[in-house]
Amino acid sequence: MELTLPQKDALTELINIGYGRAAGALSELTGFRVTLQVPKITMHRIDQIGNLLAHLIEGEVASVNQVFSGPIAGNALLMLDKQAAQALTRLLCDDNSLTNSFESAEQEIITEVGNILLNACLGVFGNLLQVHVTFSVPRLQVSDVGGVLRSITVESDELQYGLMIHTRFQLRASNLTGYLVIVLGITSFDRMRRELDNWELRQTQ
Amino acid sequence: MMDDGQTTTGLRRARDPFSTHEAMLGWVRDIAPYGIFTTDTRLIIRGWNEWLATRSGLSADEVVGRSLADLFPDLVARGLDQHFERALRGEVAVLATALHRYLLPLPCSIGENPSGRMLQTARIAPLASDDQIVGTLTIIEDVTQREVHAAVLRRQQEYDRLLSESLGRLISSEDPIASVAEIFPRIAGPLRIDVYLHFQFIADEQELRLHSAGGVTAEVKRTLSVLPVASTASGAAALSRRPRVESHVQQSEDPLLETSRRLGLRSYAVFPLFAGDRVFGTLSFGSYVRDAFTTDEVEFLAKIAQYAAIAIDRTQRESELHDAQARLSRHASELETRIAERTAVLHETIAQLESFSYTVAHDLRAPIRSLTSFTDILLNDFAADMPMPAQDMLARLLRASRRLDALTKDLLTFSRVAREEVKLVPIDVDELTREIVSHSSSLPEGAVTVVGPLGRVLAQRTLLGQCLANLFDNAVKFARPGFPPVIQVRSELRGSAAGSPAAAAPNPNPPFQTALSSIAPRATGPRLRVWIEDNGIGIARTDHEKIWGIFERIPGPSAVEGTGIGLAIVARAMQQMGGGCGVESTPGHGSHFWLELIPAPEVTSAA
Repeated sequence: MELTLPQKDALTELINIGYGRAAGALSELTGFRVTLQVPKITMHRIDQIGNLLAHLIEGEVASVNQVFSGPIAGNALLMLDKQAAQALTRLLCDDNSLTNSFESAEQEIITEVGNILLNACLGVFGNLLQVHVTFSVPRLQVSDVGGVLRSITVESDELQYGLMIHTRFQLRASNLTGYLVIVLGITSFDRMRRELDNWELRQTQ
Repeated sequence: MMDDGQTTTGLRRARDPFSTHEAMLGWVRDIAPYGIFTTDTRLIIRGWNEWLATRSGLSADEVVGRSLADLFPDLVARGLDQHFERALRGEVAVLATALHRYLLPLPCSIGENPSGRMLQTARIAPLASDDQIVGTLTIIEDVTQREVHAAVLRRQQEYDRLLSESLGRLISSEDPIASVAEIFPRIAGPLRIDVYLHFQFIADEQELRLHSAGGVTAEVKRTLSVLPVASTASGAAALSRRPRVESHVQQSEDPLLETSRRLGLRSYAVFPLFAGDRVFGTLSFGSYVRDAFTTDEVEFLAKIAQYAAIAIDRTQRESELHDAQARLSRHASELETRIAERTAVLHETIAQLESFSYTVAHDLRAPIRSLTSFTDILLNDFAADMPMPAQDMLARLLRASRRLDALTKDLLTFSRVAREEVKLVPIDVDELTREIVSHSSSLPEGAVTVVGPLGRVLAQRTLLGQCLANLFDNAVKFARPGFPPVIQVRSELRGSAAGSPAAAAPNPNPPFQTALSSIAPRATGPRLRVWIEDNGIGIARTDHEKIWGIFERIPGPSAVEGTGIGLAIVARAMQQMGGGCGVESTPGHGSHFWLELIPAPEVTSAA
């Protein structure tokens, strides 16, 4: 099962709208101009996501994970490699006292950033696709890619798909890359495609 | 909303829709170590737990029913109200301490937080009932303790980093005190230090001299340039070799702190710089604003001082070592010069002596020849007119004068050999031997036998010829009475098994006694040894060394003539040519003399 080109375009546009909102929130929060870009969106079977990410991220990752429910239900994750996570906390916080550790304070920052990003993204989804989505409390995990994926994989007979959104943070002359992964069951995926088509239709009307 | 009037603290009980959450929140509020409050969709506070009441000093009665924005205007000013709006849209918001410090301005639970506010992390979630969002639920965690600990840890890490960086600099520095001056601006900020002073300790004068300083004006530097050891804190630290850490300096009445008080310092720490018994000076740090240093800071500064002392000690020792080495090498070169001078003087003396002996021998020859000639004429022409005793005396006189002539001639040869500039060229030993034999007047016909090709050596023709002639002469002179002299010449290659004909030749007469006396050749490597073996009277073992000295004659038959210089000439000539010589002999069994020289390179013929 694949996304059609118009569906992919619609999805990219929606996510960009969400990221615009998130970037605004982050800029307001930190007092620096933060921009978020989506260079690429890809769709994979859930069992392929692990390998794909393992190639992109080495070692430990900091991941913020939020379960969402409603007509479209699933699990959304923001993954940053540890260096990027540390760099991001330092850049956001503007606090030189933060050292190279990745302790509670730093973990909280990443959780909040992840929360803003995931909510903005899925919220816009909900609004524009006209489906109501509710969220769980974000959860931060520091582990390798495999560990993160294992912990979010739901026991389900349903075929699951992962929507991988390559994300580039730009702030204070630095570039950091993260990955936003939205895991959807086939039913939700189907529903999302339908809603994307509807949205596309509404846009052209 | 229902106010039953019984609950003055804790979450307010409410009619639907809040009642479904009321039971759960009711016990959560009692056991959870968190601040928990709820609002309705207009952000009017509806529940306020005991934790919050205690921490904020505002009871539930005081806050329930009031708008969050009215109660905490600071929340809106900081834009945090948007997170409540997000919750009303169904989102869950998490607020990090590092980004927001706190959600509600509550007083600090512990005294160590400089801002005086409780540091918080918060979660703001939608409150839902029957799939409808009816308000918000906020949970606040007090993370002040955690953050204070983290800050302490971070400071410790920062200290460690600064310390290792500073110590690294000091230890590798050529000029440790200049390094302290470089380090100071880097540590001044984190440690909140305003001033540093480095004094050198001058033991003889019992005073401290300011060497370098930071954070003080040039004027102050001038006033501090020399301090008496006796009446200052730095002096006391230097003398006792103990640090002095002074707090509340301005309030102190200690006379030793007079200088620090005058400078306006409020805290002051002096560290002696010493290694073993040697006190180099002091390093001190002061603050204009702080009344005391913490233990950590004192420890930090003490380490800096300690390493500075080690580094100063090291550089001083290095410079002393360097001086000692320079002195030693100067001394060695002086010695060399002196030896060279003395050697030159010695060489000159030897040359003068040799020149003198040559002159003497040379100048003596003419009168000796006159003496010999006239004695000869007297004996031949006027013997008939002389009585027999006179004739006999004249005959003795003639023998003595001839002997004198031979002696001076040999002396002349010896000194010539000694003085001669040697130039080594390839010499064919067979050919030279034949030439010597044919020119010799003393050698009986057929006395010399040459065994095999003798080979070629690097030598000076005249010197080697002289050596061979002297040895043949010796063999004839010291022949056994009644036995005509038989001389055999052969050669062997030594020090290498290279296939030269001489080396391949077997030794027909293996030496029956090993060499006891020899002059070792100067160079190593292959040598060609030429043996001159006779059947004469031989030489006693005890005399093997003596024979090579000048004028050394060993007792023998009185009939044997000789000047005692012949072998000395051989030894000297061989030495001049970088070769060696020796003898193997047993009395009554002849003598085997040998001469050793470097073999000449093979001549490669085009044929």
